[in-house]
Amino acid sequence: MIKQIKKIGFWLLVLFLLILICLPGIWIFVSAFRPNPEILSKPANWIPDRWTIHQFTQMFSINGYVSVPAFKYLMNSVIISSVSTVIAITIGMMGGYAFARFNFKGKNKIFLSLMLARAVPGISLSLPLFILFAKLGIINTSFGVILVYVAMNVPFTIWLTDGFFRQIPKEMSEVARTDGCTRFQAFWNVELPLAGPGIGAAAIFAFLLSWNEYALASIITRTVHSKTLPIGMMDYLDEFTINWAGMCAIAVVMIVPALILTFIVQKHLVSGLTFGGVKG
Amino acid sequence: MAKVDLKNLTKKYGDVVAVQNMNLTIPHNEFLVLVGPSGCGKSTTLRMIAGLEEISGGDIYIGDEKVNEKDPKDRNVSMVFQNYALYPHMTVEENLGFSLKIAKVNQDEIEIKVKEAVKILGLEDLRKRKPSQLSGGQRQRVAMGRAIVRRPDAFLFDEPLSNLDAKLRTQMRTEIKKLHQKLKTTIIYVTHDQVEAMTLADRIIIMKDGFIEQIGSPIDVFNHPVNVFVATFIGSPPMNIIECDIINNNNQTMIKLDENIIVNCPKNKISEISNLKNVIVGIRAEDIVPITDNTKENNFSWNFGKEIDLAEPLGTETQLFFKLQNKEIISRMYNPRPINVGEKINFQIDENKIHFFDYETKKAI
Repeated sequence: MIKQIKKIGFWLLVLFLLILICLPGIWIFVSAFRPNPEILSKPANWIPDRWTIHQFTQMFSINGYVSVPAFKYLMNSVIISSVSTVIAITIGMMGGYAFARFNFKGKNKIFLSLMLARAVPGISLSLPLFILFAKLGIINTSFGVILVYVAMNVPFTIWLTDGFFRQIPKEMSEVARTDGCTRFQAFWNVELPLAGPGIGAAAIFAFLLSWNEYALASIITRTVHSKTLPIGMMDYLDEFTINWAGMCAIAVVMIVPALILTFIVQKHLVSGLTFGGVKG
Repeated sequence: MAKVDLKNLTKKYGDVVAVQNMNLTIPHNEFLVLVGPSGCGKSTTLRMIAGLEEISGGDIYIGDEKVNEKDPKDRNVSMVFQNYALYPHMTVEENLGFSLKIAKVNQDEIEIKVKEAVKILGLEDLRKRKPSQLSGGQRQRVAMGRAIVRRPDAFLFDEPLSNLDAKLRTQMRTEIKKLHQKLKTTIIYVTHDQVEAMTLADRIIIMKDGFIEQIGSPIDVFNHPVNVFVATFIGSPPMNIIECDIINNNNQTMIKLDENIIVNCPKNKISEISNLKNVIVGIRAEDIVPITDNTKENNFSWNFGKEIDLAEPLGTETQLFFKLQNKEIISRMYNPRPINVGEKINFQIDENKIHFFDYETKKAI
């Protein structure tokens, strides 16, 4: 009996914590589908009286009127995040492999400085970046944003993939090389597939970092030409009014792809992680 | 199908010398075993032959070709690792065929060669399995199969049985020996286990601190160790080693094993030993014969009694531990009977079976 009460108490606690964590998310979803005045009503109205997709139709200009060019922002976000992720993971993968497998002069210092670069708050770089990019003429371009995100993500992906390559026994590449592979073939045919799940995880992290990044993008992007979704959200901020419903709607547009992506790859990550080539 | 030649092979890690001026010719079809304690340079030597370790000096020839600068892939040697190093993401079949696939051999031929290797090693039922679904012995067999498929000039084995349990190790040892007879290829095999070395080798090389201590057939090395290190390293239990005084008395040379235990010097050694003061004596456990062991006639002129400190029954024999000059000595009792600790037992030693080593240089006399 006491055991059962304890069990019920435990699950109630879990439920409470879960609601606490999910509440902001739920609020965003709910608010995205109701008119603005209802969001501001006091006391809070938890379940909307009237559901509407008004914000979405306006955002994607389905009925002719465009509130915010969300589709363009979405495309910017997709392009910037994917391109920067692909570049960052390619460089990071090779860098991580080098750190895990080779010995070279100043290896530890270089690794440390990469990690320290991560410790610098991105926003502190915003002014120098702005001036530099303005002079180079790449302000307000997707290229500029991609460049920043690659720089931001490379140390991170190096650090992650280094860890994954370290877990693969050195003998794997050695045996592949005595089996007739060049160093690169050994990497490509044996070590890369084994580190695949880890590299996938690193790629997702890099993608999400770019996808969600606000501070630096807000400095570099100026117009619809390069603005990403998080920056686009600020379009709902007018001088005298804030369109909360619109903001929530664009937040939903941002959250959903990230959620789907994480779900898809999560399954793949777990399934790939069971090895057995080496006694252990 | 090739001999392997090492000329003045040297490997240094900074100031530390791992292998020093190694000279060695391994003829075609020889089963050569490199044996020695950890850190003696045996694995380093093997890895240098494979091309996985850069050499600091000297030359390596495989066949008649100098391979110093060649990549591992161009040396046509196959290596089997202690931890198997199977490709975990490939099936047994794919593991076996991998080297051929890399060499762009056509699929039909790969199929034939893999089939052949699978048959040689008895892996028919496991072809579609992944390494994680195999036992230790099966994995090691796949690792050997992967080496066979390539038809290399030489097989390199780096402690391949160390990860297996005792029973499986004995079994795989036999299989490796049979494999060598079937394939007729040069094998260079590294181990720290002297039993493996003795049973497998055509020729044993005993290494220590980067130097070759002795090269010879297993029996030769066992019967005629060139120094104290080899004597204690080869053979199980290790050879008993005692430092003894030499007594020259009335033209007779005798060796003092312990207080009141004095043996005659064997006639063929008198000339070398009579002018020394001390000598190191080595006696194998089986040459210290307990008189209670009924299988042997008591035909020696002398014997001595000692109290037993410990008796370890092994079934076919019992190992008896006692002390000479406060050093632990092991004797082998065949046809054993139960022995009580503290029991006094008489032993005989055939002086002709004693090994003598120089007190200073530790070299055989």
